[in-house]
Amino acid sequence: MQAARSHSKTVSAAAFLAPFLLLFVAFLLAPLLYAFYTSLFIERFGQPIFVGFRNYLNAFQDGAFWSSVVNVIRYAILQGVIMIALSLILALVLDTKYARWKPLFRLIYFLPYAVPGVFASIMWGFLYSKPLDPLLQAIRFDPLSSAALLYSIINIATWEWAGYNMTLYSASLTGVSTDLYEAAIVDGCNEFQLAWYIKLPLLRPTILMTVILSFIGSMQLFNEPFLLSALTPISQTFTPNMDIYAMAFNLTNLPYAATLAVLLGAITIFISACVMIAARVVGRRSRERSAPLVSSEEVLSV
Amino acid sequence: MSSGISQTQPYTRAASSASPHSSFVRHLITVVVTAFLVVVAVYFLIPVGWLLIASTKTQVELQSTGIFSLPKRLELLQNIRLLFAYNNGVFARWFLNSIIYSGSVAILTCLVSAMAGYALAKFDFRGREVLFYLILASMMIPGTVATIPLFVIEQPLHLVNTYLGVILPLIASPFGVYFLRIYIRDVVPNEMLEAAKVDGAPERTIFWRIVLPVIRPAVVTLLLISFIGTWNNFFLPLVLLHNQSLYPLPVGVDVLLSLIATPAADQSMPIYQLVITASLLSILPMIIGFILFRKQIVTGLTQGSVKL
Repeated sequence: MQAARSHSKTVSAAAFLAPFLLLFVAFLLAPLLYAFYTSLFIERFGQPIFVGFRNYLNAFQDGAFWSSVVNVIRYAILQGVIMIALSLILALVLDTKYARWKPLFRLIYFLPYAVPGVFASIMWGFLYSKPLDPLLQAIRFDPLSSAALLYSIINIATWEWAGYNMTLYSASLTGVSTDLYEAAIVDGCNEFQLAWYIKLPLLRPTILMTVILSFIGSMQLFNEPFLLSALTPISQTFTPNMDIYAMAFNLTNLPYAATLAVLLGAITIFISACVMIAARVVGRRSRERSAPLVSSEEVLSV
Repeated sequence: MSSGISQTQPYTRAASSASPHSSFVRHLITVVVTAFLVVVAVYFLIPVGWLLIASTKTQVELQSTGIFSLPKRLELLQNIRLLFAYNNGVFARWFLNSIIYSGSVAILTCLVSAMAGYALAKFDFRGREVLFYLILASMMIPGTVATIPLFVIEQPLHLVNTYLGVILPLIASPFGVYFLRIYIRDVVPNEMLEAAKVDGAPERTIFWRIVLPVIRPAVVTLLLISFIGTWNNFFLPLVLLHNQSLYPLPVGVDVLLSLIATPAADQSMPIYQLVITASLLSILPMIIGFILFRKQIVTGLTQGSVKL
């Protein structure tokens, strides 16, 4: 009886899981495995020929690909620092007693989340275009020039995602018991000290999560430069994803495109994992060196 | 907790009203902080504000007047008419496609994720935790890495260049399963499920009649997030579709934009006006919906990610 029941339980669990697992395997796992499999072949006269890891050896000597990787890592770091600093400042300022009209500001800052990246790129792209913007002609600054392009894209991405990250920080802060703040104020903490010594350490786990998510997103940079290339000449190897896209569809070299995609995925996951481990080590060390003002466990138990 | 606040409140009051000097400083800081917040708000509103103004101008005005100067006559309706006339009204088709993709992905994601989340939250079976962590780990994989191989896999299945080819891959949402699993585990009481089982209700009935109604708030959130995510997706449909009549809005408008560099742009077609008006009509429904449903979106995003 017992065995039969648990058997029927397993069967119904499988039935509930089946649709998701089927799609998950067919459209996520299988393409990933297939990407790796194809990367072991080359195509000669329409026939696949097994070449082992030769595509990877070629990729390691592919200067254009590596310069695109370096470019996108530089972008990820710069954009990540600027955006997360802005998001943190906004969340912390909106959390003080000095801020007015909080719901309105929160809404306005979060609004770009609803605007697709393509249209954000189009709007900013037109604002960057000299024919449409007399101001740019006057100050002789071209945001679409190759020297300024990376920063112009950083601006677009920051505009799109700063409010989203701010919202995550704000939510983490509202989850905190107000007793903690009251106690700190009684002890003579001003708003700045409150933000620096209490709120910022509390936000640590959320900050780490947003750093990782924004890094993974930045490494896949595609939409913004792809759209802007309609307005200004941009190299097809400006970012790894543009390189991969051009390799697959303009040069129709699918095995090599798959090789680069696998490499880009591996680099992204490797760096993300390193950041997570480093954050854990640093966190542990700083906890050992000085007892923190508050740990998140204490806050939860209040 | 409430007693703590009422005890300390007088302290802070007393501290801030101790001298007229500190009250002046407090006002000054409030003014500076508010000014800062207003400046940042202007930054976030500039592109959308510009788009609104630009969509009311003719192409000649757009290139001859200042970017934030208002036009003499509102040409918005004329621009919309131009847009819908372009290429036999293909824009209306793109709009409809976006609704089809986003609507079906949102509904099916919710259904599939709720089923999987229920199984992972309330059934004991071997390998459950391993499976859950596998799904969780797959959220780390850059989405675009799988997209080009997806194109290769969909070819023999005849899914390339079809509605289903875009919809099916987007339904498999690891975030959705993770989000609803946590929610079902925390919110659906086991006693309720047990009681229904004792009454002899089949699993299917329990899922539809008990689980889904209880987790409705989370399902609404997932529905919205997944609708927005699909509406905003560009790379996947760009790779998988090559028929203009199947394009969603972002890919369609990209086609328009790419005409700007061509010679036809200046002479026969007001491409700038078409792109600007198309952009406005593409983001307006999202912005209005976002303002209406902001609360549901925020709770879901933060609940899902804070626990990560």
